[in-house]
Amino acid sequence: MAPPRYDSAISAASCSGSSSSSSSSCAAGKLTPPQEIDGLLADAGYKVRSSDLRQVAQRLERLETVMVNAPSEISQLATDAVHYNPSDIASWVDSLLSELSQPPLPLPSDLSDFSDLNYVDSLVGPAINPTVVNNEWTDLHAPQQQQTVPQLLTVVTAMEEDSGIRLVHMLMTCAEAVQRGDFPLAGSLIDEMQGLLTRVNTGCGIGKVAKHFIEALRRRVFTPQGLCSAAGGGAGSTNEYEFLYHHFYEACPYLKFAHFTANQAILEAFDGHDCVHVIDFNLMHGLQWPALIQALALRPGGPPLLRLTGIGPPSSDGRDSLREIGLRLNELARSVNVQFAFRGVAASRLEDVKPWMLQVSPKEAVAVNSIMQLHRLLGAPPSRNSPIEVVLAWIRSLNPKIVTVVEQEANHNQPEFLNRFTESLYYYSTMFDSLEACPLQPEKAVAEVYIQKEICNILCCEGAARLERHEPLAKWRTRLGEAGFRPLHLGSNAFKQASMLLTLFSAAGYCVEENEGCLTLGWHSRPLIAASAWEALPLPPLPDGSDPIRIINQNVL
Amino acid sequence: MVVPLNTWVLISNFKLAYNLLRRPDGSFNRHLAEFLDRKVLANANPVDGVFSFDVIIDRGTSVYSRIYRPVNAEEPQPSIVDLEKPLSADIVPVIIFFHGGSFAHSSANSAIYDTLCRRLVVNCEAVVVSVNYRRAPENRYPCAYEDGWTALKWVNSRPWLQSKKDSKVHIYMAGDSSGGNIVHHVAVKAVESGIEVLGNILLNPMFAGEKRTESEKRLDGKYFVTIQDRDWYWRAFLPEGEDRDHPACNPFGPNGKSLEGIKFPKSLVVVAGLDLLQDWQMAYAEGLEKAGQKVKLLYLKQATIGFYLLPNNNHFYTVMDEISSFVSSDR
Repeated sequence: MAPPRYDSAISAASCSGSSSSSSSSCAAGKLTPPQEIDGLLADAGYKVRSSDLRQVAQRLERLETVMVNAPSEISQLATDAVHYNPSDIASWVDSLLSELSQPPLPLPSDLSDFSDLNYVDSLVGPAINPTVVNNEWTDLHAPQQQQTVPQLLTVVTAMEEDSGIRLVHMLMTCAEAVQRGDFPLAGSLIDEMQGLLTRVNTGCGIGKVAKHFIEALRRRVFTPQGLCSAAGGGAGSTNEYEFLYHHFYEACPYLKFAHFTANQAILEAFDGHDCVHVIDFNLMHGLQWPALIQALALRPGGPPLLRLTGIGPPSSDGRDSLREIGLRLNELARSVNVQFAFRGVAASRLEDVKPWMLQVSPKEAVAVNSIMQLHRLLGAPPSRNSPIEVVLAWIRSLNPKIVTVVEQEANHNQPEFLNRFTESLYYYSTMFDSLEACPLQPEKAVAEVYIQKEICNILCCEGAARLERHEPLAKWRTRLGEAGFRPLHLGSNAFKQASMLLTLFSAAGYCVEENEGCLTLGWHSRPLIAASAWEALPLPPLPDGSDPIRIINQNVL
Repeated sequence: MVVPLNTWVLISNFKLAYNLLRRPDGSFNRHLAEFLDRKVLANANPVDGVFSFDVIIDRGTSVYSRIYRPVNAEEPQPSIVDLEKPLSADIVPVIIFFHGGSFAHSSANSAIYDTLCRRLVVNCEAVVVSVNYRRAPENRYPCAYEDGWTALKWVNSRPWLQSKKDSKVHIYMAGDSSGGNIVHHVAVKAVESGIEVLGNILLNPMFAGEKRTESEKRLDGKYFVTIQDRDWYWRAFLPEGEDRDHPACNPFGPNGKSLEGIKFPKSLVVVAGLDLLQDWQMAYAEGLEKAGQKVKLLYLKQATIGFYLLPNNNHFYTVMDEISSFVSSDR
C-alpha cells in the first residue's frame, strides 16, 4: 500500500463537517492571501504560511528520504547539530537538510522529483479552520491576542482552606477599592486582612503571598508619597540594593540563568574577533563576568582583548565601587592571561548615559548586555524622545555585534491598577512558590525582601518613580524590531546547557522553554524570565552618503 | 489514501523530530525533545469560552495538572478567586485527560494537547483535568500509572469539582495513545479502591504483545508509525528485561488479570483504520466484552493516527460527538 499522500483538496471536501463556522473559509475558488498563516498549525504551535504548506511537505519528504538513506547521520543530527526556532518548520527542515549536505528545494518546487505523489489540484486552499490567523508572515509584532490578558499559573497549596480563600477574596476586593479611589474601604479591608493573617500560616503558600501583597496595599493606601522618591522608587541606598540583589542571585536561579544564557550568546558572537567590548547596563558586583572571562581564556586560538564598560549608579558612600569591581575583574583576567581593560560609567539612570561615554572603537566587536534594565525606561509616555527610544537608538548607533536582553516575563506595566495587581499576584505567587525550595538562609529571607520591593514599586509608585515596568517578550520583540534590531535565535545548545545547569544547581520544578528563538526560565509551566539576543540591522546611509555611525559618535552631547 | 495537507505536515514533522530523539541504546534526547516541543501557557482569561490554570498535585514528583473550565455565562471574566469556584450546574462531567506521546513525548502544556482539551471542554460542556504525568525512559512503569492514580484521587477529593445534584465528582477518564493505556490501568486501580469512574475513553490506545499481528505487519511504516519505533517505546517504558506480554501493554494477554465480575467503567474505544496497532486495540475491546464489560468500539476506516488533533476531517467531528454523548448519558 502506498504511503499516505497529502491532498489539499481534502480541506475543501470535508466542508460538510459539523463546524458551522467553517463554511466561510472553504470557498474552493478563493485564493488564500499569501501572507496568511495556517491557523490549525498555529494552534499546534507552528508557523507555516498556508501558501507554503506544499513546499514544506516536500521538504519533509526529502528530509525523510535522506534520513532513511543515512541512518548513521541521524545521531549526529541529534547530538551535534544546533536546532533553532522549531516553530518555523520550513527553516528547521532546511537547516537539517543542509546539515546533511542536502540543499533545500528550489522555488517553485519541482514536481518531477516526486512523480508518484497524488496532487488533486495545485490550488492550496486553507484547511478547514474557523480560526484562521491573519498575521503577516514578516510581522514582528505581537499576535492578535490581547497583551492585557493575564497569563497565569496558580500554584495552589492552601487555596481551599477557608482562611486562604477569604484572604484572596479580600485582597481582590481591596485592590478594586484602591482602583476606585475608595481608600476608607481599602483601609478597613487592610486592617481586617492583617487580622486574618495571624490565623494563617504565612511561612509558605497563599499566606506568604498574601502577607506581601497586603503590605504593598498598606503602603499604597497609608503612605502614598513617602515611599517613592524620584531616585530609584524607594529602593533605599545603593548598598542596600546590592545586598538584596546578591541574595536574590544566590537563592534562586533566575539571575544565574540570565547571566549564563547571555554569556553563551556573547561568546558565540565574539567568535573570530580579536578585540571585543562588553557594555554592561548594570554592573552590580560584576557577577556575570568571571564566567565569560574564563570562557574567553579557554577559547581555541586564544582569548581576545576584552574591554568591559560597567554602568552603575554612583555610590552613596563616596567609594568608587565601580572601579573596585573593575579591579577585581582585572585581577581575575590577568590570572587567566586575558588582556583586560575596565571602565566604569556612573549614572543614576540609563537615559543619562551618552554613547560617547562608552568610547566604542570601530575596530571592536561590541556586546551590549541588559539584564532587567530596559523596562526601567518605559516610564515616560511614548514620544519621539522617550527614554527607551533614545537608548535603543544609541545602542544601535554603536553597531553592536550582539545585544543580550533579559527581562521579567510579565505584564506589569498596565495603566490600570487592578490589572497590575492581578498580574503581579499571579507572577509573584509563582516566584514565591519556587523560592520555597531554596534551602539557604539567610539568602531565602533576604530574597523575599528583594521581591517585596519589586512588588511595592509596581503597586505603590507612579510616574517616574515606578521603575518596575515589566512587559512580556512579545512586546519587547515589537519594540526591538521597530528600533531596528532583528533576533539572533538562541538554539538547542544554549537550551541544553541551561537545562543541565538547572538540574545541577536547583530544585526540580524549574523549567527552561524555547519560545521562537528566545529562552525562558520558569517554575513548572509558568515562564518568569525571558532571555533573547539581537543584532542591529545596518543603518541606512545618510542622504549625503556619510556614515551615520561616525556622525553619532562624534556628537558632543 | 490521503490526509489533509496540514495534518500531513504536522504528523510528519513529529515523526522526523522523534526519529532524532530515540537513541539506539534506548536512551532519549530529553533536552532536544523539550526544546522542540511547542508549549502554551495556561490562561485564566477565557479564550473561546475556556479558561485554564495549573495546579501542582504532587510536590514530591513535581506532577502538575492543567485544569480547563468552561466560562460561566454570569461570570464571563473569572478572577483568581473563581478558579476553584464550585461548579454551578447540576451535573458536570469531569474528564481526566492523559495526553499521548508513547509514554516518552509531550506534556500537558504541549500546544496540540492544550488545544484538544479546550475543544473537549466546549464539546462536552465538561471540566477537563490534563495530567502532566512522568515520562519514560527516565520514569518507567509504573510511574505514569501512579501519577494517573494520584490525579484520580485528587480530582475525586476536590469539593469544588462536585456536581450539585449529588455532591459527587462525576469522573470520566480519556486519553490517546499512551494516555489511553493509562486510562485502562488507572480504571482498574479505581475499581479495586472503590472510586467510581463513570466511563473510559480510549483514542487510538497504545497496547501491544509479543506476537506480531496482521495489522502491524501490513501497516508497518505505511502511515507514520513503524513496528520498530513501537518496540523502542515499550522497551523504554516497561521494566528492564520485560517483554511485550507484560500486563501493562497486554492487559488481556497471558499475564493479564481477569476483569470478570467487577464493576469496570463503560468504555468507548476509538480505532483508526490506518493505525498499525488496530488489532491490539480491537483485541482490547473484545477482551472487555468477554469479561462482561460494557464497551463501544468506534472503528474509523480511513483515519490515521492523530486525526483528532486537527478539526479538518470528518472523523474528528464524529469522535467529538461520540465523546460528548458518552459523558452526557447521565445528564
